[in-house]
Amino acid sequence: MTHQMHAYHMVNPSPWPLTGALSALLITSGLMMWFHSNSIFLLVLGLITNILTMFQWWRDIIREGTFQGHHTPIVQKGLRYGMILFIISEVLFFTGFFWAFYHSSLVPTTELGGYWPPAGIKPLNPLEVPLLNTAVLLASGVSVTWAHHSILEKDRINAIQALIVTISLGLYFTLLQIMEYYESPFTIADSVYGSTFFMATGFHGFHVIIGSSFLFICLMRQLKFHFTSNHHFGFEAAAWYWHFVDVVWLFLYVSIYWWGS
Amino acid sequence: MLRNLLALRQITQRTISTASRRQFENKVPEKQKLFQEDNGIPVHLKGGLADALLYRATMLLTVGGTAYAIYLLAMASFPKKQN
Repeated sequence: MTHQMHAYHMVNPSPWPLTGALSALLITSGLMMWFHSNSIFLLVLGLITNILTMFQWWRDIIREGTFQGHHTPIVQKGLRYGMILFIISEVLFFTGFFWAFYHSSLVPTTELGGYWPPAGIKPLNPLEVPLLNTAVLLASGVSVTWAHHSILEKDRINAIQALIVTISLGLYFTLLQIMEYYESPFTIADSVYGSTFFMATGFHGFHVIIGSSFLFICLMRQLKFHFTSNHHFGFEAAAWYWHFVDVVWLFLYVSIYWWGS
Repeated sequence: MLRNLLALRQITQRTISTASRRQFENKVPEKQKLFQEDNGIPVHLKGGLADALLYRATMLLTVGGTAYAIYLLAMASFPKKQN
């Protein structure tokens, strides 16, 4: 049996990059079939294969790190850089939507009446559900920090409780937003106001769902004793992502809900 | 009221039977032994039969779906002539 003489991780050949790339092809061509040929089969197939790929790829990473011991300190450093760079790319993604919002709202065109919010738009009251949503996400930022400290202090029960609280708050936010979307007096088709509002808050909501799912996986792993007090990077990555989601909401709240009303 | 709450907590703690208690025992050492076995199996198949089945299903769906997507592309590239 050969042994490596270095602390880096040379992964086994894996089929998941290929299946992931093919699933992306199926999702994009599936969208075309849906838009132009009234068929969702290819799109659904793409989404299923995408989920299968993600499940197996991340399952393998857990096996490599927690069960095979490949995540040495230097490998963990690389994973940290990777997560940070990914979050930066997501910040840039949202920057685009905020740019679009400010572009349209700082210089409202004559078609809108020359003012913002545009003529005919009745914006949501920022002091009602949006303010509650802000409180919910800020509280979840506190509870995820509580979870982290519990893990550091080897407090298993508290870590589990804190993760449950965080995930519940995330779900509560999502439910409140779904209700807001349903009750909203304006739609995505209502001028550039509707476009910017729903694109920005819609993608944010999607990221809340992703973050909640990531935290849920961390809860499962915590229940299964995967995390130790000095090695729990998966949890830290989820917590960083969650804080990012929270900060994006704060920008949304101040810019679109508050200033934009 | 608080005493009832404490009693309820004790009952639920005692009710967890041996079978379900096994669910919350640390099985990481077993997993470590399984995945560190020197059998040359790559990590994506090393868990057993379920891994192989899931892998085959994923490959079948993705490769099959790709073939179908290319077929649809070919069909869409040559529209039928209308009189």
